[in-house]
Amino acid sequence: MKAILDSINYRIPKSMRSLMGILVVLFVITGLVDHYFFSFDSIGNTLQIAAPLAIFGAGQTIVMLTGGIDLSLAMTATGAIYLISVKSSSGLLVAITWAVLFCLIIGAINGVAIGIFKVNPLIMTLSMSTVLIGFFSVGISTFLKGSSHVPDVFVTLSSGYIFGPVLSWPLVVWFIVATLVLFLLTRTGLGRLIYSIGDNATAVRLAGVKVWKVQLASYILCSLFAGIGGVILGGQSGAVSIDLATSLLLPTVAAVVIGGTSIMGGMGTYTGTIMGALILAVISYLLSALNTSEALKQIIYGTIVLSLAWTYARISTNVRRH
Amino acid sequence: MMNQLRLRERSWTLGITALFLILGIWRSQQLPHFGSYEIKTIILGAVPIALLAMGQSLIIIGGGINLAIGAEALLINCLTAKFMNHTSFVHSLLIGILGLACSVLVGAITGWVISISGIADIVVTLATSFVIVGLAMVIFPIPGGGANIHFAHLVTGGGKSFVFPLFAILVPYLVIWVPLYRSRTGISIFAIGSNKDAAFLSGVDVTRTRIKLYAFGGLFAGLSGIALTCVTLSGSAIITIANAATLYSVAASVLGGIALAGGVGGLFGPILASFVIYFIPTIMLGYGIDPAYSQIIQGALTILVVLAGGWLRLRAKRSK
Repeated sequence: MKAILDSINYRIPKSMRSLMGILVVLFVITGLVDHYFFSFDSIGNTLQIAAPLAIFGAGQTIVMLTGGIDLSLAMTATGAIYLISVKSSSGLLVAITWAVLFCLIIGAINGVAIGIFKVNPLIMTLSMSTVLIGFFSVGISTFLKGSSHVPDVFVTLSSGYIFGPVLSWPLVVWFIVATLVLFLLTRTGLGRLIYSIGDNATAVRLAGVKVWKVQLASYILCSLFAGIGGVILGGQSGAVSIDLATSLLLPTVAAVVIGGTSIMGGMGTYTGTIMGALILAVISYLLSALNTSEALKQIIYGTIVLSLAWTYARISTNVRRH
Repeated sequence: MMNQLRLRERSWTLGITALFLILGIWRSQQLPHFGSYEIKTIILGAVPIALLAMGQSLIIIGGGINLAIGAEALLINCLTAKFMNHTSFVHSLLIGILGLACSVLVGAITGWVISISGIADIVVTLATSFVIVGLAMVIFPIPGGGANIHFAHLVTGGGKSFVFPLFAILVPYLVIWVPLYRSRTGISIFAIGSNKDAAFLSGVDVTRTRIKLYAFGGLFAGLSGIALTCVTLSGSAIITIANAATLYSVAASVLGGIALAGGVGGLFGPILASFVIYFIPTIMLGYGIDPAYSQIIQGALTILVVLAGGWLRLRAKRSK
């Protein structure tokens, strides 16, 4: 028995264990508040809510590991599902091509501006988000007029169940994304470079790496994941609107930070982000179960995010001194 | 080096002044009659953004960023709109001072949390923005409220004169920023903004300076909230308003020539930039264009300005 415990201790780092602990505690508390929570239906539901958050989190983790941040992610996601809905009348393949192209272009613009012109990522992506909001507000009534209905294939893909009340299609999508990201970050050269430019971009540049290429790749990947998350989110709500993903933007940053990825870059894992997304999903279930006012929900949500980030900063050794 | 920095700063301020003048003249040509009252309307439209941008710029100079600054302004807006409704002038004035004290306290707490937790500014202020908007919603669930009309006239001025609204921007600039810039605290703020470790090693109390920094940011946010109450004579706790205000404040700081790396800049550029941000949608509305286009232009303008800055820096590095 002790040998097994030791091997668990050895395999799973301390920070990850504490995240699991937090998740279990929140899980139990939620179950005590709302007895219905300990059912397969509720768990399946919570996992479905966590899926788009975690998929956005995949993109956000990658760019945050490089020392950046993507605040245009929510609008990229909305744009992708918007294009799919509007263009679906001319065939599904055309619609998907439009969406993928859109994500590629947004990611490339972000990446070029940040990688080559050294624009601050926060400003770049914030401005990009503003531009996209304007673009789509104008588009609704002019060049993007059309159906706001999400094609049935994607509705199934984002809320259909495969087996029982727990295993649903969005979980499959999430699983594929997670496998890809974990493989990318831990097993490939690009993954190593993503970590290393977040750690010390100058050293990496002097070692002969074209840092801007890594940044470009990261922002394009982030936009693509944003698109996938957007499709799932749009399918879950059935119809698209311009503020579809806006409320998920800050939670994605929160999920990544709670998961232990440093906002300075170079440190963190996608596994942590998954835990962060699960924790936030359970919290939002808990808050709706408590049946409190929207105001109190905001206060509790903010306080929990802050205290989780604080706890994490305490237990991880790398605390900034002043 | 220092001279180059000054030069760059000056040329930037010159650029934003030119942009301000061009847009200002453009707007004045649009109006059938352009006089004191029209100037007053323009200034009143820009006052809340300008004050908020001053707070954000100050914090960015000190090496931080406050994504909750819009929420702070919203909180004070709701507080004052609720308690100033149907009161006497003195009563309203007292509540205004109390509101400012509140926002300073909120700012100071934010700075303190950032310092002792060791978490990045973005993350902390992201979380506090939720909490502060939540508080505003608790205090003031239904939009409405008001203020003593004579108190409101302190910002808006009763008649057609544009002097009072102009004072609403100039007085905080002259009474808070100018002395602060020359004080010991001001030097410390610039020091921790440009290099925290060096500042620490030369004996600057980083924690205390940061708390003061965020407290001053809160003061400007509070002023912005009160100005909003005086201009609109109401308050509404809606999260999108807070987020939009934060966005405007960051955009105005960047357009106004504040480097996000911290440690350089002044508050004059951001004030002019706030007017630029106000002018863009107003001018477009004047032509009957969908104001949504102005968001595209504002975002693109910010990107272009920062791109130009990056390009200049790149060229300077190559020519060295």
